[in-house]
Amino acid sequence: MKRYISLTVAACMLISLFGGCARNEDAGESYTYNDYVTTMAANWNPHTYETASDSYPADFLRVGLYAAVFNDEKNFAVGKPPFESYKMIPEMAAAEPVDVTARVRTEHPEFGIPESASSGYAYTIDLNPEAMWEDGTPINADTYVYSMRRLLDPELLNYRASDFYAGNFSIAGAERYANQGQSVMLKVYEVMERDGIFAAEEFVFTYGDSKAHINWLDSFGEAYNSQSGKWGAAENAVVDSGMSVRELYEFFMSEATARGESADGARRRFADEVSIMWTYPDNVDFSYVGLYKSGDYQITLVLSRALSGFGLLYALNTNWIVNEELYERCLKKEGGAWFSTYNTSADTTLSYGPYKLVSYQKDKSMRFERNDNWYGYTDGRHVFADPVSGDEREMYQTTAVNTQVVAESATAKLMFLRGELMSYTLGADDFAAYKNSEFAHETPGETVFFLILNGNMDAIEKRESSGSFDRRTIDLETMTLEPFRRALALTYDREQFAAAISPARSAAYGLIGNAYLYDPENQLSYRDTNAAKYVLCDFYGVDPSKYQSLDAAVGSITGYDPDSAREYYKEAFSEALALGYITDNDKNGISDQTVTIEYCVSADNDFMTRTIDYLNGKMSAVTAGTPFEGKISFIKSAPYGTEWSQKIKAGLSDTVLGGWSGSVLDPFSLTDLYVNPAYQYDALWFDSDETELTMSINVGGMGETEVIRDVSMTLREWSDALNGEYVTKNNVSYNFGEGMADVEVRLSILAALEGEILRTYNYIPMLQDAALTLLSKQAYYAAESYNPVLGWGGIAYLGYNYSDAEWAEYVSSVGGDIKY
Amino acid sequence: MVKYIMSRVLLMLLTLFIITGMCFILVRMLPPAELPPGDIHTQVIEARREAQGYNKPYLVQFGIFLKNVFTRWDWGVSDKLYVGQEVAGIFADKLPATMIVNFYSIIVSIPIGILLGVIAASYKNTYIDHLLSTATMVCISVPSFVYAFIIQYFLSYRLGWLPFLVKSGTDYFSFDMFISMLPVILSLSLGVIASFTRTTRAELCEVLTSDYMLLARTKGLTKAQATVRHGLKNCMVVVLPSIFGNFIGIMSGSFIIEKIFAVPGVGSLYINSINARDYPMFIMLTVFYTAIGLAASIVVDISYGFVDPRIRIGSKK
Repeated sequence: MKRYISLTVAACMLISLFGGCARNEDAGESYTYNDYVTTMAANWNPHTYETASDSYPADFLRVGLYAAVFNDEKNFAVGKPPFESYKMIPEMAAAEPVDVTARVRTEHPEFGIPESASSGYAYTIDLNPEAMWEDGTPINADTYVYSMRRLLDPELLNYRASDFYAGNFSIAGAERYANQGQSVMLKVYEVMERDGIFAAEEFVFTYGDSKAHINWLDSFGEAYNSQSGKWGAAENAVVDSGMSVRELYEFFMSEATARGESADGARRRFADEVSIMWTYPDNVDFSYVGLYKSGDYQITLVLSRALSGFGLLYALNTNWIVNEELYERCLKKEGGAWFSTYNTSADTTLSYGPYKLVSYQKDKSMRFERNDNWYGYTDGRHVFADPVSGDEREMYQTTAVNTQVVAESATAKLMFLRGELMSYTLGADDFAAYKNSEFAHETPGETVFFLILNGNMDAIEKRESSGSFDRRTIDLETMTLEPFRRALALTYDREQFAAAISPARSAAYGLIGNAYLYDPENQLSYRDTNAAKYVLCDFYGVDPSKYQSLDAAVGSITGYDPDSAREYYKEAFSEALALGYITDNDKNGISDQTVTIEYCVSADNDFMTRTIDYLNGKMSAVTAGTPFEGKISFIKSAPYGTEWSQKIKAGLSDTVLGGWSGSVLDPFSLTDLYVNPAYQYDALWFDSDETELTMSINVGGMGETEVIRDVSMTLREWSDALNGEYVTKNNVSYNFGEGMADVEVRLSILAALEGEILRTYNYIPMLQDAALTLLSKQAYYAAESYNPVLGWGGIAYLGYNYSDAEWAEYVSSVGGDIKY
Repeated sequence: MVKYIMSRVLLMLLTLFIITGMCFILVRMLPPAELPPGDIHTQVIEARREAQGYNKPYLVQFGIFLKNVFTRWDWGVSDKLYVGQEVAGIFADKLPATMIVNFYSIIVSIPIGILLGVIAASYKNTYIDHLLSTATMVCISVPSFVYAFIIQYFLSYRLGWLPFLVKSGTDYFSFDMFISMLPVILSLSLGVIASFTRTTRAELCEVLTSDYMLLARTKGLTKAQATVRHGLKNCMVVVLPSIFGNFIGIMSGSFIIEKIFAVPGVGSLYINSINARDYPMFIMLTVFYTAIGLAASIVVDISYGFVDPRIRIGSKK
């Protein structure tokens, strides 16, 4: 009996030993990326996803027709060291797109390609015949056409349909097909564009009897009762004005006269601010949409706006395809609306990318493993020369991705330090300990945060006239004076400000951040151009001629110039005294009133407290010895929640750190945010339609003979022309959009607009957004510097110093406390 | 008694109906989450709301809602968090995690809390009592999420004994899952244990001075026998209802704890549905929590009668 027991135990030990060896071998080959998110993706359907967290799985499951890779020996970029630029390569496509504009224009007049166009509107794209779904089902031209038809299906009302017609990448006929029969609220200028109407009067002639809608607050700061003819409290929403288009047009014109506004300005505002219900034509067939099959593995793409080169390839780095059989199975109609469960679980997800989804638990975790049916593992094209080791390496060394929800950053930090997470984004409290770590990687953000300064005199006067306001001790009006605002712009050292309140971020001096590239192909930043540098020198009062170079002059800018600031404060004091905004009854040369600037708080927290303390502290230091010594104070508002932007826009609160971000590859489009009342924070006290800018500029067109001419337009018109609209002045049409004007001309317009907007002192640039992330010692990024298009290279380029088993051993050897 | 229970149940259903109706109508009166001005997706959202009946009269909407719930158990589809997915299905997926975590917590808390209460009462005004009373006060005063971070720091990070988060998967009764739930159970239980300890001690201290306890001792029972057989049974009149009260307390306390430990339960779902303005999800969870609260109050009331036969509400002589 003893012998049997001994043999059994020995056998068990042997089995365990072999079992253990086998597990170790497997573990030795595995490289798991343990990631965390604060919100788990819930719907990653390419047709319906809505949030950034929902797009998370896309990098693992999908591949675009074209994709960016770092430049190296295999993907050579002229004049660029390896890994300092990138190349766009075909992925789900088999080759570069072929321009067939001329042929398609003749054969398919239904797509409306302009007669004069010979390129940029239509392309054939050969598809990668090796591409397939994770279950082996081939992906061909039918897949692309079916998916686009479903994406734009007017019944499905897919959230992402507009991605394919509303931006620069606009498929011919897509908008009309997707929206057929629907009535939508459109601004007058949008209707004019669609109907080819050029004059407001012509619009009124056509649509004069239609109901007119308006947001009274945005347009006039108050509501208007058309029945009683009285102004009242404004409802902050687009509402039925109670008037017809004709009546409201006449109202705009008469109000313009009463408010001293020009007729042109009023017409322009009417077009921008008034909306009507507009109905898309019905019964549009999909054959009118510019995407069709031109071979089993070839599609033809027709655009409604010309696009070529990098812009086209970049637009096609996302993909819209869905698996037909699964997609149809997941569709259901609920209460008259269509919904889909496609891509909401592992069962309803089919991948065609490097990884497949093997498990998913709502709000908890998801796991991806290698998709062995992905062509990229065997096509020999997904390799690169590792800049660290010099070895040729395959992309996608990661064998699995485990993603879990970690809501608290404190928990994420502890898990990271125990080696359970691959990265950790530093919070403000972590900077002292980790900002100089060799494992810290900075990711620049596109947002510039500026202090928006209230200049709405109407609102300020109303606030001052309220019963509880004490004019003897408090003043609001002085903050609207230009010398005061100039002084404020020179009161704060931006780097110190960033270090004090948000160490991950850095100083910002202009409205357009460092991340914006005007030439993505060559990675040229707007901020590095001379035009942009002169804007900063001008705004901060730096004379470049006193420096060895323009760069040295720009380098000297800190935003802090206490001597100039004090002079401006003195000037503001005299001006405010003369205007009666403040008093100096005791003749001590110091304002009797405290200029009180309400900081608009959405929710009270430590960040707000730090910000306001810093603003007040530095203000006290700079105003010492001036008539405003101890007489300028930032105070917190009540927590306004999501109402904060409306409070600022209405002039009911005075300042806030706000910001805009846009496409980092198109800095030109940012100008609209500062001149279009739909977006402007200062629309009620700064009219970009009334502000003229004259430039001596080359109007000769792209690649044509230079023709220098003095051109005067309003800021809004310059912005429109810069972004591809035709603007007619003195019977001459101007268009400085992409492909219409030389890039140097466009840059000079952009710089001039930035300078003009800065000089309003409605926006004082303060912070450049950024994030600092620690990467685990288990892995390393192939790239040594951040790339605006590829970031740090993503999962494709992530290399590993330790396999999973080695990493577990390492973590154990350091007692589960890894030092960074 | 049966009549009393029936009337309480009917009243509970009426209350639930009124609360549900009020919540439904008030929520439907709220505007949708704002989109940026000029957002191209506005028309999609508007069309979706129109199709879902948001623009019908509120009472009509409520009628449709009730009809769908009673005839098809259809609580609608999520319109923000899980667009197009059925609310009832998501709720059913997530309920087990919450129930199990709370169940473990209450199971752990009851014996420990009562035991500590008995010890404190038995050693009244000694250093043991003072120590337990102080610990009880600390545990009751400190919010459970504070324990959560302390537990994560010491037991998960410094010592590495327990995982940081609850394990993924639905194997709720596996050993690995139980181990991964320990930090959650500890965080939720400390305050509840303290509450039971305090209640038990207070009641027992009073009971132990009663004449019948003296009689029990005189009969020859030991102190422990008298305490358990007579003293403890009498303090259950107060302790037992507090078990139900604490169960509800744990359910609400787990809103935050679930988030910290990544429990895929309905507690964090409730918070998310409020933040995201997912109205159908919010309504279903509100009905759930209201029903739980109302049911618990009935059970508490009825339990008095079972624990102490002298309490018979509604009975006739």
